[in-house]
Amino acid sequence: MGFLFDGLDAEEYDRSYSDGDLVRRILGYFRPQARKMGLAAAMIACAALLDAGIPIFIARSIDTLRADTTISRIALTALALAALGATSWVFNMVRQTLAAQAVGDVVLKMREDACDSVLRRDMSFYDQYASGKIVSRVTSDTAAFSQVMNLSMELISRLLLVFALVGYLATVSLKLTGILLALAPLIVGAALAFRAIARRTITASRRMNAEVSGHIQETVSGIGVAKTFRQEPAIYAEFVRVNGQSLRVNRRTRYVFSSIFPILNILAGIGTAALVYVGGMDVRDGAITAGTWFLFIQGLQSIWFPLTSIASFWSQFQIGLAAGERVFGLIDAEPRVIQTDDVKLPALRGEIRFENMDFSYKAGSRDLGVGSRGDGLSQGSENPSTFEGTLLQPLTPDSRLLTPEWVLKDFSLHIRAGETLALVGHTGSGKSSIAKLVARFYEFQGGRISIDGVDIRRLNLESYRSRLGMVTQTPFLFDGSVRENIRYGRPDAGDAEVLAAARHVGGDEWIAALPRGLDTQVGERGSGLSMGQRQLVALARVLLQDPAIIILDEATASVDPLTEVLIQEGLDTVLAGRTAIVIAHRLSTVRHANRIIVLRKGAIIEEGSHGGLLAADGHYAELYNTYFRHQSLEYIEQARKAA
Amino acid sequence: MAQRSEFTAPNAYTYDQRSVPRWVFSHIRRYWYFALSFYFFFLIAWSCYAGTQVLIGRAVDEIISPSGPSGLMVITLIILSVMVGDGLSGLLGSLSAENVAARFEADARQEFYENLLSKSKGFHDRQRAGDIMARATDDTSQLSHMIAPGITLVSETVMGIVIPLIYIAFIRLELLLVPLCFVAAYIVTAKTYVRRLNPVVHDQREQFGAMNAGLEETISGIEVVKASAREGFEREKFRRNARLFRDFFVRQGYIEARYLPLLLYGIALGLSFLHAMWLYRQGSIQIGQVIAVVGLVNVLRFPTFISIFAFSLIQSGIASANRILKIVRAETDLDENSGGHAAQMRGEIVFEHVGFSYQESGVGSRESGANVSASQPGPLPGPTPDSQPPTPVLADISFRIAAGQTVAIVGQTGSGKSALTQLVNRTYDVGDGRVLIDGVDVRTWSLDSLRSQIGKIEQDIFLFSRSIADNIAFGAPDASREQVIVAAQAAQAHDFISTFPDGYDTVVGERGMTLSGGQRQRIALARAFLSDPRILILDDSTSAIDSATEDQIQQAIRKAQEGRTVLLITHRISQIRWADLILVLEGGRITAAGTHEELLVSSPHYRRIFARYDADLPPLEPAAAEDAALRAA
Repeated sequence: MGFLFDGLDAEEYDRSYSDGDLVRRILGYFRPQARKMGLAAAMIACAALLDAGIPIFIARSIDTLRADTTISRIALTALALAALGATSWVFNMVRQTLAAQAVGDVVLKMREDACDSVLRRDMSFYDQYASGKIVSRVTSDTAAFSQVMNLSMELISRLLLVFALVGYLATVSLKLTGILLALAPLIVGAALAFRAIARRTITASRRMNAEVSGHIQETVSGIGVAKTFRQEPAIYAEFVRVNGQSLRVNRRTRYVFSSIFPILNILAGIGTAALVYVGGMDVRDGAITAGTWFLFIQGLQSIWFPLTSIASFWSQFQIGLAAGERVFGLIDAEPRVIQTDDVKLPALRGEIRFENMDFSYKAGSRDLGVGSRGDGLSQGSENPSTFEGTLLQPLTPDSRLLTPEWVLKDFSLHIRAGETLALVGHTGSGKSSIAKLVARFYEFQGGRISIDGVDIRRLNLESYRSRLGMVTQTPFLFDGSVRENIRYGRPDAGDAEVLAAARHVGGDEWIAALPRGLDTQVGERGSGLSMGQRQLVALARVLLQDPAIIILDEATASVDPLTEVLIQEGLDTVLAGRTAIVIAHRLSTVRHANRIIVLRKGAIIEEGSHGGLLAADGHYAELYNTYFRHQSLEYIEQARKAA
Repeated sequence: MAQRSEFTAPNAYTYDQRSVPRWVFSHIRRYWYFALSFYFFFLIAWSCYAGTQVLIGRAVDEIISPSGPSGLMVITLIILSVMVGDGLSGLLGSLSAENVAARFEADARQEFYENLLSKSKGFHDRQRAGDIMARATDDTSQLSHMIAPGITLVSETVMGIVIPLIYIAFIRLELLLVPLCFVAAYIVTAKTYVRRLNPVVHDQREQFGAMNAGLEETISGIEVVKASAREGFEREKFRRNARLFRDFFVRQGYIEARYLPLLLYGIALGLSFLHAMWLYRQGSIQIGQVIAVVGLVNVLRFPTFISIFAFSLIQSGIASANRILKIVRAETDLDENSGGHAAQMRGEIVFEHVGFSYQESGVGSRESGANVSASQPGPLPGPTPDSQPPTPVLADISFRIAAGQTVAIVGQTGSGKSALTQLVNRTYDVGDGRVLIDGVDVRTWSLDSLRSQIGKIEQDIFLFSRSIADNIAFGAPDASREQVIVAAQAAQAHDFISTFPDGYDTVVGERGMTLSGGQRQRIALARAFLSDPRILILDDSTSAIDSATEDQIQQAIRKAQEGRTVLLITHRISQIRWADLILVLEGGRITAAGTHEELLVSSPHYRRIFARYDADLPPLEPAAAEDAALRAA
């Protein structure tokens, strides 16, 4: 059941791989399973032949047994019939077992390949695609693609059954076979017409359901407001309207879906009646036997169901291939950050030098390429119009065609080992890009970046990054305990070291405030902790790594003043004695930095200390008045007068 | 127990909510004529369908009868009309059932929705929005699947087994032997099959979820993964999950491949044939009747094989009905107290030794939301290890706020700041002590009078997908455009609203323009200016990105403080600095209270905030702390 309803929600996809390519690729994955699949195919053929044989056998038996009614003959026939059914069952069992193993292994291999490929990519890839989309390519699309194989096997077994049966019937009576076959286009036609209608109604239903969900979502989220202001009747009236509409649309869809089988039954009835009459006359004339007549009537019932499933095969097949294309698009793409050597720095000092470097997010990208057009999964920037400079525009699929937009052009900067450097500037000035290039998250296009005098492109990334610490605005924690999170960058660290790191960033107070101390579960993405607590965990995590270089994108997210104090004090200890690049949002950080770099449109326009730059009354002074003034004590003391 | 309700829909149909079966039945009874018509037509359909097999047998006898096929044409026409009758009555029966199913879904959703509106604000505060959503959408659609194809298929199974058996019995009673044995064996083996399959399907689904969630987490945290050079670890994590999934997948394949009923069916067909031929040999039945028996045994195939699917649909439908009813029947714990104290509020707030802890959280709010494909309710995901009595959120809180004062509440996350404000407007009731407004216990106030005079601006400000003007005038739909603009100006929102092309008619919210936190906050303030509450609770945790926005928010909040009592949960030091009273909360207790100047000398905690600013601080005097706390009480 249900084949008729499968694949109705297929979307259109632009495709870059041809069907042939995709089929070849999947066959490649199935090659290690060749023996199992070959065996399974043989089982399919045998089972189909046996299944076709059962009605034939019954029909023949009716003829022979009418003539010969010895007990042994009857018993033998019945036994043979049961054996036929049992053998077919065994073949099917072996086939399904083999197929489950083969498909399971193929999907596993595809998933592993896809996941490896994802982890190899550089950050530009992750900026471009929402995590949910990437995950569904690795997990769901691989499963959908492998279904192509199952689907094809099912179809082949059904077609084999139909061909075997019809082939045999044709040898018995061409006339009756003709009647049977005349019915086939009617059945397939009805099935196709039904699918066309069903597709339309199901789209309408889906849209309507989304509207109902949207309405409920809004009510549920805003119910507090609605209740405070006593607006329930108005909201209820609106809901009743939308819900009524949804009832009508959904009911129509249900009507369409439930009407197809009765209609097919009526068609089958017409065919049966024709066979009963024409075949009956033939029996009378002696052209065929009564058994053959019965065989045709049974045969009609055996083939009409496989015929309806052919109608749904093609669109399901296409869904499977589209999924395959998304998977292979993911596997085939190359990362853009490529290391040319494998230098391991024995002891990282933390001296960083940019020399005439050019960088653009949009230059020469070879991205997912295939498949990325169809599903438009580019991710919007989450931070509109803020001071902070996260990633610039998300890449558009057509970005390859654009000339590079330089974020940093001919950029030179020397950061001494152990220095705390604050970067300030408006959104898009290139602050974050500098930090991310140091982490080697992106490839640059010209010039050179060196760490302790070694070209960053020649470093062994694993050893380099293990001495690099990074704390972002909204620190990410993994589901698990606080302890596990602190240990993330250094899995071999002992409990004492973890505790020491935690104490170091915020004293005992914050650990005591956690419900179960360091064993507190942080929840999904750290949602069980407050933003301030998450920042403290992230700081401890970085501290435990004992990094030589720290990159800090300070949070603008508001934290209660008491926690804020803790974080600030934690920061002071973490930054001491290390090279630190701080994208500064807090006045106190800026003031305490060794050096402030003022950026505008990818260029350094001012440089110096807080006091000196403020006195110079240049771009920094303007930035101060725009972003930092309200964090100053003067402002706080003046707040009452300002109002 | 009578429901306490905050909203009742006019002329709503009432359903029996006492138990799940009663509830489902009362929904179906509303459309009893459609339900009846389904059974009527499907009885006809199945009688026709099974009857066709008997007619085909008749036709054989007719064909081979020596007297010639004189009746063949008649039988053919009967077969045709019976099969068309099968199709048509099947169609009518299906439409009836689908109608009931679709209406059940819509009605249940409407009933649920109305019930949601009738629940108190406190109730909703305790529910997770996603959970309620799942019940209102997934679970209600699960209900419709329970009707069709769930209950309809189960009914068809019964008809599809009983009717062919009746026909067989009419041919020869003893021919029932094999089919009855088959049905019995089928029930046993199918049960075993389901019992073996269900846990594997469940494990596989869980594992798929775990695999997805794990990878999703890796990708969301990719910056951390890369910066810590832990790709290898994450790769292994995924592989472990993927391999486990493969194992479950293969095991499911094994079990499905060994579906015994199919084997039994093949054998039953052979044995029925044997039995019929045996009787034919004895001359007790005709060859046409042999054919009819084979045809009728064939009819048994569909109902037996569809029943597993049908039963699982009913199971998940019942689970969904349970989830919906659980919410519907949940008691709202606050009493309306409609005959209580009602007066113009002045705004004096007094806490007297107040203690409070959250009760058992809501109604099954921990339970994972409705799973569309869930075939059975299953146990709740591992109960949290802490089943000890809840730790108090607030303990022995005492203070007094004079009407018109502004109070800033300072404390770390989890120190009880929000809970404290929730006791004022009776989102919750105190555990110990009492909360007095204008000298009257809040529990003595009429809830309506109390709440209508207390405004609250939440941390996450919710805007409806409507125009800005409608959002501002949400509580006062009759307000003129001029009044809306005046309120917006007071809230410093007029300027940014005017920059939008559609001005006050700009649609905001989920399906409209996205506003920043600071903008939303000012719209909420404008809303409060229009409704003009005596007490305003302001959970102000938005951060200003730039100094200009900060200036505007400061001004708007200042304006809101004029002439009303304001409880302020804020991260803005400038707001705290100038509050009339500052309460420092730590672990649910007030550890310091007083003005800025007092706290600087009495509270080391409070001093640390200002120490960051290199400010000149007065010397710390520990004794002053007790003084201040005493005065606050």
